[in-house]
Amino acid sequence: MSGALRDGLLGAALFLLLWEGVVRLFGVPPWILPPPSGILVTTWAARASLLPAMLATGQEALAGYAIGAVLGILLAMLLALAAPLRRLLLPVIIAVNAVPVAAYAPLALLWFGTGPLSKIVMVAFVVGFTVFLNTLDGLLRVDPAGIALLRSFGASRLGVMRRLRLPAALPDIAIGLRVSTVRSMIVAIVTEMLGSQSGLGWTIYEAVLQIDFLRVWAAILLASLLSLAFFGAVGVLERRVVFWR
Amino acid sequence: MSWRTLPRLAAPLLLIALLWEGAVLGFGISPFYLPPLRQVLGAIAALWPAYQSAFLVTLAEATAGFAMGALVGIAGGIAFAHLPRLRRMVLPLFVVSQTVPVIAFGAIVVLWFGNTLAAKAAIAFYLTFFPVTVNTLAGIEAVDPRQVALLRSFGAGSRELLWKLRLPAALPRIFTALRLSAPLALAGAIVGEWFGATQGVGAMLLAALFNEQVVAIWAAILAAAAVGSALFALVALAERALVFWREEL
Repeated sequence: MSGALRDGLLGAALFLLLWEGVVRLFGVPPWILPPPSGILVTTWAARASLLPAMLATGQEALAGYAIGAVLGILLAMLLALAAPLRRLLLPVIIAVNAVPVAAYAPLALLWFGTGPLSKIVMVAFVVGFTVFLNTLDGLLRVDPAGIALLRSFGASRLGVMRRLRLPAALPDIAIGLRVSTVRSMIVAIVTEMLGSQSGLGWTIYEAVLQIDFLRVWAAILLASLLSLAFFGAVGVLERRVVFWR
Repeated sequence: MSWRTLPRLAAPLLLIALLWEGAVLGFGISPFYLPPLRQVLGAIAALWPAYQSAFLVTLAEATAGFAMGALVGIAGGIAFAHLPRLRRMVLPLFVVSQTVPVIAFGAIVVLWFGNTLAAKAAIAFYLTFFPVTVNTLAGIEAVDPRQVALLRSFGAGSRELLWKLRLPAALPRIFTALRLSAPLALAGAIVGEWFGATQGVGAMLLAALFNEQVVAIWAAILAAAAVGSALFALVALAERALVFWREEL
């Protein structure tokens, strides 16, 4: 086992022990902070209702993520090719992005209802922005000498995009995609908390109303596991695609 | 503010206002989706004191959490740079902490702190400290070892190295993290207000949603944008004051 992995596991184990110990030693009531063991027990006991909720949130996040990632990359390519359009649209895009996403959630709920669609739209919106801004950054940062060289060999704008800009931007796209994983989960949950009939966000909201805080923690645990898995999966994909990094 | 920055700031705002009004008039967008800008501005003007106090409340919450997050992040970055073992043990936990959808904690944080400024600030803090830690660490590690060796040869101790070389060298990266996490801090404050707060931009958003008032939602969105701009301006001013040498590089 490598030293980094060993120390990392050691740190995690110490953290959990400390948590469990403090809660037991000082008799902290579970509505303030339940021990990790209690959260695990509750999660297992309530698995019949928590797992479908986790699945619903995961589906919304994944669908929105896929749509947002594709749209974000396409829009960035379009604006990288069309400079006048970019100068016109970029200030608007940056202004729209300056407002925290959570503020748009009420609009999405009014427009698209309390079903999964409003969550997918919100996730796609956030992921799209994150991926778009990172991709555009990468596409425009290319060495001008490289572009001049390719063009002198007769490459078209699209050729420069395919052979130079896109490969050069891959690391930036990958960062955008990786950051977006966790965001997609957060946004799906936030939108669910405002209005929904399913999902972990809804579970949390319901459990808060019923003052069932162990259930809140159980939902948080599952949400964290899901976003950790998503983050890890995208990280693995990234190492395969951007192998030269 | 110089005579040149004002038009540069105002031009995009004007463009957006024109696009907004133009789109509503030109495409006949239903006010259910996008009400005319004048109507939204009119709603804000009609309730000016309410919007002003919501702006100030949310700005205070976000700034408090943001400042705490910046301090803890910088301290964490310094500690990790000096203690590799601590870093290997704790940094992975920090990474995992960021995959926890913090918003889900909103209810619990409000339970801990009550419906106070501290509850919203705590959520803003949670979203801020990690990017600052990572960038502080990266900035300190990027310091040229020859510069360290030079200062050491003049007899500098580690404290002097930190204050005279490592931290100043890391400042540009720290500010990059601050600029990225300012909107996150604001989002934390706004969502924190959804758990029973009666004041602030987030509380206004929620009230507008429950009353299905699209104009009021857009007015609250503009208020959120104003808070975001104010936070961004604070960071930019601090950066100009502290990283004064940046333009020379």
